[in-house]
Amino acid sequence: MDERPVPLTLKILAFVMFVFLLAPVVLVVPISFSADTYMTFPPSGWSMRWYVDLMHNSRMIGALGTSTLLAVIVTVLSMLIALPAAYAIIRMRVIGAEALLALFTAPLLLPTIVLGLAILIVFAGAGLLGTFTGLVIAHLIIVLPYALRVLTTSLAGLPLIVEEAASTLGASPLTVFTRITMPMMMPGIVATAALSFLVSFDEAVISLFLTGPRITTLPVAMYQHVETQADPLVAAISVLLIVLTLAVVMIVDRTAGLTKTFVK
Amino acid sequence: MQPGFLSIRSLTKRYETMVAVDDLNLEIAKGELVAFLGPSGCGKSTSLRMIAGLAPATSGTISIGGKDVTQLAPYRRDIGLVFQSYALFPHMSVLKNVMFGLEMRKVPAAEAERRAREAIAMVQLEGREDRRPAQLSGGQQQRVALARALVIQPSILLFDEPLSNLDAKLRDEMRSEIRSIQKRLGITSIFVTHDQVEALSMCDKVAVLNGGRLEQLGTPNDLYERPATAFVASFVGRTNRLSGVAEGDCISVGGKALRAPGASKGKVELMVRPHRMVMTAAGETMPDFGSEPINSIDGEIRDVYYAGDILHYEIDAGGQVMSVERTTSGGETPVSPGSAVNLTWRVADTLVFGAAQ
Repeated sequence: MDERPVPLTLKILAFVMFVFLLAPVVLVVPISFSADTYMTFPPSGWSMRWYVDLMHNSRMIGALGTSTLLAVIVTVLSMLIALPAAYAIIRMRVIGAEALLALFTAPLLLPTIVLGLAILIVFAGAGLLGTFTGLVIAHLIIVLPYALRVLTTSLAGLPLIVEEAASTLGASPLTVFTRITMPMMMPGIVATAALSFLVSFDEAVISLFLTGPRITTLPVAMYQHVETQADPLVAAISVLLIVLTLAVVMIVDRTAGLTKTFVK
Repeated sequence: MQPGFLSIRSLTKRYETMVAVDDLNLEIAKGELVAFLGPSGCGKSTSLRMIAGLAPATSGTISIGGKDVTQLAPYRRDIGLVFQSYALFPHMSVLKNVMFGLEMRKVPAAEAERRAREAIAMVQLEGREDRRPAQLSGGQQQRVALARALVIQPSILLFDEPLSNLDAKLRDEMRSEIRSIQKRLGITSIFVTHDQVEALSMCDKVAVLNGGRLEQLGTPNDLYERPATAFVASFVGRTNRLSGVAEGDCISVGGKALRAPGASKGKVELMVRPHRMVMTAAGETMPDFGSEPINSIDGEIRDVYYAGDILHYEIDAGGQVMSVERTTSGGETPVSPGSAVNLTWRVADTLVFGAAQ
């Protein structure tokens, strides 16, 4: 990208857009420090009580643990599946590669609610409702298309000739992949991991169909909490989620470069 | 044909709609530097990729040192390849790039590093071992690529237009450097290029390819002085073309009788190198060719171009346009367009080809 000076009007426009997009998010922060028993803005007093409350809310803490573990497992699995799949589609040019890519990424186009209903029907028969395994499988269905998209794009952007050079120097296909292709794909791999983690962690619609009294994820627990109570507890959770998201984004930025990873 | 160190027999590459390489036969001796020369799409790069194992051959065989490698994967062929776009590993330092091939050959780390440093010194990049490729200029990157391919002491070294991305001055420098390293190490090499100057000035032999077929394999002198086909004559160096009808060694060109060695019967094409033609204007003395048989035609100057070292004349000789060159000496005035001139050249400098093309 060339570095041209940004016109003032564009700067103002960008600022207004940011305010529009971020205002609701920013509003959550003061509310989370409220001393009131229900969500109002501005709060009548300040306190840390909702954070303390959260620490003692075993249901929320349990859901946070489930969501985190779920997101980690789904991220690892989606990488293990999507990386070889991307390689087969882009580099090995298996028969029908284009059709396969379209098929694998099709869930992106389906309304999540339809997908959720379909999964509910299938899982009910298989006894997977309200189980951790069921959640993992369902989240994989949602996450894999994203992972595959980012990884295929990342791989397709790599010059094949560098891999060819490695093979003429005596590297077997597997060595070429681990020593040359994977390191060059690193920005794409980091982006995929971050995206997979966030998509799974944030997933609410399908989880709603699958969770039950025995197991629940954080977004579902929050949704159910808001349904019955209007206290600022969820605001406190939201702030923690914002911090977590920022942390993930910063890790991506530090390791692979944010613009390089998501913009390119 | 004597079997060479690199032996290519009936090598063919067919794609669905086209034949990229058509029945290529070539024998290359140990230590030779051979150019694959031709216009783009002539099959020279495809041939190189087949030798490297990066593209499978449709039919035919490739053997190196008597061993058939046609079905071998590239990483089992012991070949060094220098690419036009360098193809360095962007995530590795210069040293690691050069060491990669040695590592793959399980050379102990200490020895690998010593040999890699030697190779880096040979391409004059000492002190840059820890840089990343992105921190180097194009010329330096190509030197790293060269060191990386040389350090494994491959049985054959392949160059795929390695100088095309460099500017003219650097290209000249790299040309002589590659040649001297190649000679010193005695590595059998193939140099793919579309640049005839590169092919003629660097290589022991040149294989001219056109439309997937080998037109001629010969020394640079063979190609220039004794081109086997009209394509070679016109692709290597510049030439003037005249079409005529042959009868024995006498050829009638637009009513004028010219002679050429070894002409046959029927429609033919004559070719003469521009600088082998001598132009004589009215009032100038005709040069003396001694007892050598000569050809001579009359014409009229249409245009003159000044190019510093030479004056370039375009002459209309009975409807056929010819180029003639005169070296400049400083004081002369160019013969002006419209002047009547005479063109003379030795019969021995006349190339004749059947007019199939």
